[in-house]
Formats: sequence, C-alpha cells, structure tokens
Amino acid sequence: MLTRVIKCGAQIPFELKFGKLIVTDTGTLRNMLRQFSKDFVLNNDIHFYINLIWIYMFALEVKNLSKSFGNLKAVDNASFEVPEGSIFGLIGRNGAGKTTTIRMMMNIYMPDSGEVVLRGATMGQEFKDHVGYLPEERGLYKKMKVMETLLYFAELKGKTGKEIVERAEDYLERFELLDRKTSKIEDLSKGNQQKIQFITTILHDPDFIILDEPFSGLDPINTNLLKNIIIEKKTEGKVIIFSTHLMDFAERMCDYIAMIDEGKIILNGSLKDIKSKYGQRNVSLTHEGDISFLNSQPFIEKIEDFGNSTGIRVKEASQTQDLLKLLIDHNVKIKKFDANDISLYEIFLELAGSEEEHHKELSHV
Amino acid sequence: MFNQKTFAVMKRELREKLLSKTFLLMTFLIPVFMFGGLALQTFVMSYSGNGDTFLSIVSETPKITNELQKEFSDKPFVKKGKFVISYLTMNKETFKKFLNQSRQDLISEKLTAVIYVPESALKDKKVEYYSKNPNNNSLFEKIRGSINTALIDVYFGNKYFSSDDIRFAREGVDFNSFRVSKQKEIEKEGYGNMVVSFLLTFLLYFSLLFLGTMMMRSVVAEKTNRIVEVLLSSVSSNELMSGKIIGTAITGLVQMAIWLLPLVAVVSTSWFALPEKFTISMNGWQILYFLLNFLIGLVTFLGLFASVGAIFDNDQDAQSGLWPVMLLIMIPFFIAISLVSNPGSPIGKITSLIPFFSLMVMPARMSLVDVSLLEILGSLFINLATMILIFMFAGKIYRVGILRTGKKPSWSEVVKWLKYKY
Repeated sequence: MLTRVIKCGAQIPFELKFGKLIVTDTGTLRNMLRQFSKDFVLNNDIHFYINLIWIYMFALEVKNLSKSFGNLKAVDNASFEVPEGSIFGLIGRNGAGKTTTIRMMMNIYMPDSGEVVLRGATMGQEFKDHVGYLPEERGLYKKMKVMETLLYFAELKGKTGKEIVERAEDYLERFELLDRKTSKIEDLSKGNQQKIQFITTILHDPDFIILDEPFSGLDPINTNLLKNIIIEKKTEGKVIIFSTHLMDFAERMCDYIAMIDEGKIILNGSLKDIKSKYGQRNVSLTHEGDISFLNSQPFIEKIEDFGNSTGIRVKEASQTQDLLKLLIDHNVKIKKFDANDISLYEIFLELAGSEEEHHKELSHV
Repeated sequence: MFNQKTFAVMKRELREKLLSKTFLLMTFLIPVFMFGGLALQTFVMSYSGNGDTFLSIVSETPKITNELQKEFSDKPFVKKGKFVISYLTMNKETFKKFLNQSRQDLISEKLTAVIYVPESALKDKKVEYYSKNPNNNSLFEKIRGSINTALIDVYFGNKYFSSDDIRFAREGVDFNSFRVSKQKEIEKEGYGNMVVSFLLTFLLYFSLLFLGTMMMRSVVAEKTNRIVEVLLSSVSSNELMSGKIIGTAITGLVQMAIWLLPLVAVVSTSWFALPEKFTISMNGWQILYFLLNFLIGLVTFLGLFASVGAIFDNDQDAQSGLWPVMLLIMIPFFIAISLVSNPGSPIGKITSLIPFFSLMVMPARMSLVDVSLLEILGSLFINLATMILIFMFAGKIYRVGILRTGKKPSWSEVVKWLKYKY
C-alpha cells in the first residue's frame, strides 16, 4: 500500500494543512493526486510553493515492535498502522500486551527492537508534546488546586500563556467545574477528578489522543462525556487511539483495529474490511422459537448463542439462503436476519481461541 | 538535561517545598531544636534537683575534717545554702555504725550522700561515696576539686612548703592552643572551631536526611497516586527526576544558607565580639566551599533517595529499604563528629577523599585544621564524579522502578534493572 502521499505547497486549492488531510483509501488519494497535478500544470507559478510538507496516509506506523521483561515476551514483533483522522482500537484480553505496546508508542518504554514512525519520521521525545495520553492507571496531585493542575500539565506539554488559561476555563465551564477552579483536587468527588483528568489530556489541543482502557472505572456520566470528547476530536481531524478489552465498544467506535493476543498482532486493518472478510459465511439471527433442528443440518458449521442474538456459520457463503429458507419452513419467527455479519467478539474467538477463563475476561455485552 | 520541561517540574517542586509550611517550620525550628538540645543536655547534666543537697563528710582525722570544712565553706554553693554539709571525724569502726544509722536517711533521700575520707586518702586519694545514686557525676564534678585541694593542703602542710608552692602543685596543666598554617599568622585557637565543625556536620547530616526522606516520599507518592504515567506521557523519566532533584536541591540550599547566615555574620563582621575562647577561624571561601560541597552531596543523595523511592511502592517498604543509603550518611557522620577530638587522625585524612565519606568528613576537617588546596580540589573532584555516576545509576533504577507496582522487588532484581533497556 502507498503510504507516502505527496510533497506539495500548502496553499494549493486543497488547503492542505498538516494533520488535517484525511486520506483513507488509495482511490481518494489517486483523485487528489490527479487534481493536484492538474492545478500544478495550470498554475505553474512560483508563489504556490510556500511550504514543503510531507503528507502521510498513516499518522503512525508501528513496525516490528518487541519488548521482553525478563523471560516474559510482552510484545512480540507487533506491526500495524494508524491512518490519519481515524479512531483506532487496540483490542485484546487483559495482559495481552496492549499497555506495553502503548507505552512504547508513547516513548515511555524503549522497545527491544522495532520502531514507531510518526508521519514518516522515527518518533522521538517531541511526539509527547503532540499527544494527550490517558493511562489506565491515572492520578493527579491531590494537594494541587484545579487550575494549577491544568496549567502544570499544559506547561509540561510546552503550552503556557493566556490562551491556555482561557481554554482551561472554557473546559471547566463546559464540564460545570468553573466554580471549583481554586479547590484542591482532593476536595473534588471522584467523578469530578476524572473530568479534570480528561481536561489535562486534551487541554493542549493534541493531534493524537491515546487512551489506555479509557472506560475502566468511569461512572456512566463520565463514560458518555468521554465518548463525546472522542467523537468531537475525530471530527476535528485528530487521531484517536485506544486500547480496550471491550469488543462491543470497539466495534461501535473504531474505524480501524488491531487485535493483539499474547503479545502478537493477530489481525489488523479497517473494521469494515475485516468484518466483510470474516462475515461472508456468518449470519446474525434474532428470532423467536426453537432452532435446535439446525444442529443436525450438515451445511451448518457452528452455532453460538449470544443471548440477544445467535451467530450461525454455514460451510459456504451461498448456503445462507438455504438457512433462511429452512428457518421459514420451520416457522421460526425471524426478527432480524443479517447475512455477512459477524461480531468482533466472534472474530476474536475464532482467531484467539475460546478457553473458559478467557470468556470471563472478555465482555461482549 | 535541563530544558523547559525540567524547569516546569523544578518550579512545581519549589512551589510545593519552598513555599510550604513544613519548610518554614523546619528552617526555623531545627536551630531551635539544636541549641535547645544542647542547652537541655547541659541543664540535665547540671541539674541537681529541686531540693538542696545534704552531705555528711566523714574524715578519719580531724586535720582533714578541718581542711575540708575550710575549703567547702568558701564555695558559693555552700554559701548560698544549696549544699548543707555536716563534717564529722570518725575512725573506720565508728563510721560503719554511723553508716548503718544513716541508711534510712539515705534511702529516703533526707541525706544525699555520705562521703568517707580515710587517712589512706593522703596516699592514694581514694574516698568512699555512699548514696542511693552512686553515679552522680554532676555532684562529683562540684566536690572533687575541693576534696582534692583539701587533701593536697593536708599532705603538703606537713612538709613545710610555702603556700605558693602548694598553689602551684594544685594547678592542672592548661593548654593554650595556637593554629599554625601556611598563609596566616599564628592564631590563638579557641573552642569556636570545634563548635563550628560540630554544627556544620550536624546540619549537613540533618539536611541530607530530611530532604532525602522528603524526596523519597514524594517519589513513592507519585507512584501510589498513579500520576507518574501521566507525567511520563509529557516528560522523560530523566527530565522528571532532574527537575525534582534540582527543585529539592535549591530548597535545601536556601535552607542551608539561612542556617549559615549567623555564622557568616560572625565571621565577616565585627558586630559580634566573641570571647577569645570561642574565636572562629573561618573565611568566606570556606563557607562557599561548604555550600558547594553541600549542593553536590545533596544532589548525590537525592538521586539515591529517589531511586529507593522508585523501587518501592509504599512508605513502609521504602523506609526499610533505605538502610544502604542510611549507612552512607551515618558512618561519615560519626567519623566527622569524632574528628573533633583528633582532627589530624589518618582516618579523617583518608575518608575525606573517599566518595560519600568526603562530603561530610572534609568540611569537618577543614573547619578544624588546615587542609591543602590539592586535597580540597581532590575531594571536590571525587564528589563531582560520584554525583555524576550516581545520577546515571539512579536514573536507570528510577526509570524502571517508577512504572513498577505490586510485588516488592529483591535487590538482585534491582541490579538486573541496570541492564534493562528501558
């Protein structure tokens, strides 16, 4: 796949700006190139070349990362790409290697081998200024005041001044905490402390937002708040990367995913592509009535009951029609029959196995 | 190493430490405690209780009794009525009976002590002391001189010496010390330098311990608060550690400078006329050296304390894991203190050029004797090199340690951390 797009002047009709251009497939890219070369020919004038900017399809590329702790291989040759402007999910069980991968992406851990490439260049410490990071285990200085805390974390990202103060006040107002700006963190409720933590993550307006198990320990109100922030940041063209063991949630939010199991990336790519690839022989069925007769059908490979729905896999893609006919013939009341649909959880089970203890860890609401 | 991020961390540390109530309290209370402690010790040593002291001094011969009476009656503590002394003359047999009779009074402390001065004391100066509290050093100090004088007077009084001869014989030898050094003229030496040496050593010891523990606590707190990973998403572990150490070191330096102000005032101005006995022969350079040495020592030990904090994830474990660092502070401290009694000892000379020891021993030595410039520069170099090495070593342990929680690591694991690529 073509990753490096073009070297161009910033004032060409596209109004290309670093980090704002969203190119998710080669088709769009080709069109853009064609348009650009046309303009380039038409307006072959020196003043169009103002800045030289490298534009990449991928904001981040993780290349062959490995990390061991003593005898434990936490991450084993992991590679995946995070496209610009996307929500990217790193999915796996607890202990699969998600946090270690993220810490290497954040330059908190140094990889034993491999590298992380940020828009074409090997990533260094400077990346930290462009990223807002919410670790799974998070905390604040309890004795510090709210506003002091916000300004301190912004300063650590290299942002100071009036603009940051104003932005901090805006966020506090939006999260209904403006009247608490001189309170000490320890005097806030746990939920409000979490809100402050969100603000510290995004106050410096980062291009990348990395969230490690972001919903662990959040109350429903803050879960919603964080979801809204993620969506808002996506519309602003930011890259959002999060790790989670909640398959259902990843399925609803992510454009791209990478699945990690025992330190190895077992699957990665666009969610749409993955689902269509794995879903061809799958049917998601919501019904009323007995369907146990399906067990004796030779063309059925597997039936799995997920409570609200049942996942059925046939042996060949064309047999989904036979399945539908059979259900109607047996007077099963069909509420939903979704061919070519497979949940992320099912894909995960197929790839990573389904031992009992793993079942418990994985949530598939 | 020092950039805008380190600066931001440093500023926060300063705000938290320098402007805290604890800092103000400690800065002003430590000297109070220190002098208070000294004063208390002196008071306890010399305090003889609320009640007066009642003594029975029994001599074997009337001659001794008379001399003792003559000698004691001049003493202020007898004149003021603090000491009530009865003088008796008895032979050994009668004294035994007398002692038996007095037993009840001694136990009930109506009588503080019975002192028996046998005739043989004129040969061996051995007297007997009977009391409920037989090791009353402050009382011994008070009466020893008088008894000695009385015995000497009786002894020589039989031998036709003039009173001047006797006075001479009674005197002990008094050392008038003079300091000989290359640059200066020969100066009369007083107790001042000993006091300064003791004070400097104590301040150094206390400050390293206090600030180091503070540093360790703050690292442990960042770990237990889970704030450290958030911080590491913005700064590198080196920037974080440097910022914290520099912030704390500045706090310490300010504190030390405040403590040294009186000394600077005494040395550099003539506002305080010290009695000759307490002359301090220090100059500005020595104080400057002391501050520089302190700063180097502080940074070295803060690095060590920070790495101990990073290894453990609660205060209790950290305290118990602190012993190797504590040894590095305690042993030099005791050596430095003992230098007061023999500043020229070879142990002092050697340890003042050994890493960690030098930090405390060298300033103590310098305030007592003249140390050659070469030795001073040598110790400065050794300390700087130690500091840099410790910084690198602590940086590694810190980097691995701060993200680890859970099981308490063993020392062998910590050694392995040094080889980790983090």
